[in-house]
Amino acid sequence: MDEKELIRRSQAGDGEAFGVLAERYKGKVFSLAYGFTRDRAAADDLAQEVFIKAYLSLSRFQARSEFGTWLYRVAVNHIKDYLRKNKHRLKEIPLQEAGDRALASADLGPEEERLREGQRKIVQAALARLPEKYRVILTLRDIDGLSYEDISRILKLSPGTVDSRLHRARRKLREKLTGRLGRQGGEHGL
Amino acid sequence: MDCKKAERFLLRSLDGKLDPEKKTLLQTHLEKCPSCQRKDRDCRMILSLVRPQTVPEPLPYFKERLLAKLEEKRKTAPALLWVKWAHRAVALSLAAFLLFGAGILFFRPQEPQELSQTEKFLLQGENPLGEAASILDQKKAEDRNMMLIFASVGDRDVSRRYRP
Repeated sequence: MDEKELIRRSQAGDGEAFGVLAERYKGKVFSLAYGFTRDRAAADDLAQEVFIKAYLSLSRFQARSEFGTWLYRVAVNHIKDYLRKNKHRLKEIPLQEAGDRALASADLGPEEERLREGQRKIVQAALARLPEKYRVILTLRDIDGLSYEDISRILKLSPGTVDSRLHRARRKLREKLTGRLGRQGGEHGL
Repeated sequence: MDCKKAERFLLRSLDGKLDPEKKTLLQTHLEKCPSCQRKDRDCRMILSLVRPQTVPEPLPYFKERLLAKLEEKRKTAPALLWVKWAHRAVALSLAAFLLFGAGILFFRPQEPQELSQTEKFLLQGENPLGEAASILDQKKAEDRNMMLIFASVGDRDVSRRYRP
């Protein structure tokens, strides 16, 4: 069924039509939530909450933007609220500890794979420590791979601001990681 | 090209958004600058590490669970709506009460002030001291005081009554 028709029916209160829309977009919303939480159950809960929020505010969707863009905006705002509310509960793992834990828990495999997993955890921990606005833009661009134009529409920022904020976010992440990946980094150490 | 500009080009090149001319400039700088070479290597490595290796699927029965929650929301929605409106009604009543109170306090109609005897005389163009002259002419202080007391007894404003 046509997306516009599904939206129209959903706005009229047809839960089944909204279910079809949710089925189409669940992957994208879940992937976005997973990019922030790195926890399957938490990302699933967040994705469900995003769809409920979207359903309840669907009457305000006026098709001035794509449904996907609007849904992403709802999702980003909801995830930002979640991160703010759980700031103290979501314990930040020190960068080095994150790498050590990953090395200890990784299945015994090729050495390079274990090192890579350790580095990945360190990068995740550094990303989680960035200010929210940098974390959001890096997740949208570097993890979800959205275009500058889409990010600009979702965050309601000018393309120039997206460009400069992304630039600063990448620089900050690199600064946080300077010298951190060395122990796990082997020949690629920073 | 300085290192600051090179870094800007470098970060932009990660998105493949660098035009060929700038790309050549960056390449030339990188060949000469070991510090920027390291930055370039770091950035590319971080970019490859920042993405999760695999993104799992949402938990099973995503749609079914969502529809069940929506149904639940729909059932509780009228009650929630009622509670929401009740809260608004309480707040509105309180605001109206406060406004009414403030209105009474600040916009109380002022009673017309009664003119004093002196003012009445002055308005009529008469000498206000004319009546008092006979009192003030009394030689004995006791008589004068008594007469002043009796003269002011009729005044409604107690503060204006004569006290020797």
